[in-house]
Amino acid sequence: MRRRAQPWLGTLVEITLADTPSEAAAALAFDAAFGAIAEVHRLMSYHDAASDVSKINQMAVGSAMQIHARTATVMRAALAMNAATDGLFDIACASRLVEWGYLPDAGLEHGRHHQLNHHERDRSALHIDEDGNIQKLAPTLIDLGGIAKGYAVDAAIDALQASGVAAACVNAGGDLRVYGETAFPIMIRDPRAPTQIGFRFDLKDAALATSGSYFSQKTVQGQLRSALVHGVDGSAVVNNISVTVQAPACMTADALTKLVLLSADPRHPLLQQFGATAFII
Amino acid sequence: MKPINVTALALAASASSSAFATQYLTVEQAQQVMFPDATGFRDVSLQLTGEQMKQVEKLAGLPARSVAWRVFAAYKGDAQLGYVVLDDVIGKFELISYAVAVNPDASIKQIEILTYRESHGFEIKSPAWRKQFVGKTAAAGLSIGDGIASISGATLSCTHVTDGVRRIAAIAQVALKK
Repeated sequence: MRRRAQPWLGTLVEITLADTPSEAAAALAFDAAFGAIAEVHRLMSYHDAASDVSKINQMAVGSAMQIHARTATVMRAALAMNAATDGLFDIACASRLVEWGYLPDAGLEHGRHHQLNHHERDRSALHIDEDGNIQKLAPTLIDLGGIAKGYAVDAAIDALQASGVAAACVNAGGDLRVYGETAFPIMIRDPRAPTQIGFRFDLKDAALATSGSYFSQKTVQGQLRSALVHGVDGSAVVNNISVTVQAPACMTADALTKLVLLSADPRHPLLQQFGATAFII
Repeated sequence: MKPINVTALALAASASSSAFATQYLTVEQAQQVMFPDATGFRDVSLQLTGEQMKQVEKLAGLPARSVAWRVFAAYKGDAQLGYVVLDDVIGKFELISYAVAVNPDASIKQIEILTYRESHGFEIKSPAWRKQFVGKTAAAGLSIGDGIASISGATLSCTHVTDGVRRIAAIAQVALKK
């Protein structure tokens, strides 16, 4: 077993190769997988002014631009998830996160998003065509933090498979996916005591994502807030539970944790549609 | 009766009080991974001057934190390929040792996590607890506990690693740039 970790996407990304190919083959596989994650980071970072996400946040209403195929894939999935969840999952919650100090107001300083109120957001502010051209139809500020890590894990898994690795695990700060004939031991943090194990099991050929507010809760102007925003009413999720979703792909699992957390329903009918299951601890 | 190995017991106890711990690479492995073409590494550890500390703080926008920095220069024959800078950072309850590969022009080439350890919260502030892990490697006989499992949970921010890398980028600019 070989294991490496690098800081990407605001967290630690860990890659485990279960089989042990030659040193040289393992190095190439790690390079390809971390390379895919680095690319997703560069394209979708809210903080990097050169990322597609920053460009989308700074483009003028009424304008259009071409985005990378990877960004287009994530944006389409995010918009579809927003529609499927009736707005519970929402990438346009960034104005709230800026307000609460979780994100800098990088997109706001240009004045175009000045005083963008959460409740005034237009659900169809962005439109993407088949060629990856994105059009901004109304003011909006997006953050892909609730879905891009899952996508990055899928992209790394694709890279490992293309490199000929038979079994591996990619874990981006709790959003993880395993593939191959090897079952990987997984531990879920206890949301009431995060440095302890709440649940432990083996996972094979599936993706898993966990969301909870226990690491991000803080008091802002007398109100307890977190980095998890309710897409419909704009409130912060502050509780001591965590939601874990298992799905075939990590991008789906990542996004669906927000649906289950906000609906408080681990048997939400939408899960089945995505081939997913969930539990709350 | 077989004498009880007190050292082994103490190590086992400290390992079990650490909830999650993983060893990814030793310093030597990290050197090889980040500079695969290197034929040798030379210890060129730094002692920053007061003036350099000020410049680092200005460039990084962060306290320079330490005068002494562990640095290795990577060589292929006589040609210098770059540097490996070692650092440890402490989060809310995690201690992370990592290595940063720096190009001769002071740009960042690569970052690799060496070890990751969590405490249950209170020990992390204790120098004694931290001291038993800082700079240690698997070869030094450190138990990795549950290091083979993958942890899922709310995303733990790695801001302190990102800040640490920014500080090292400034140190490279001030003290290592050719």
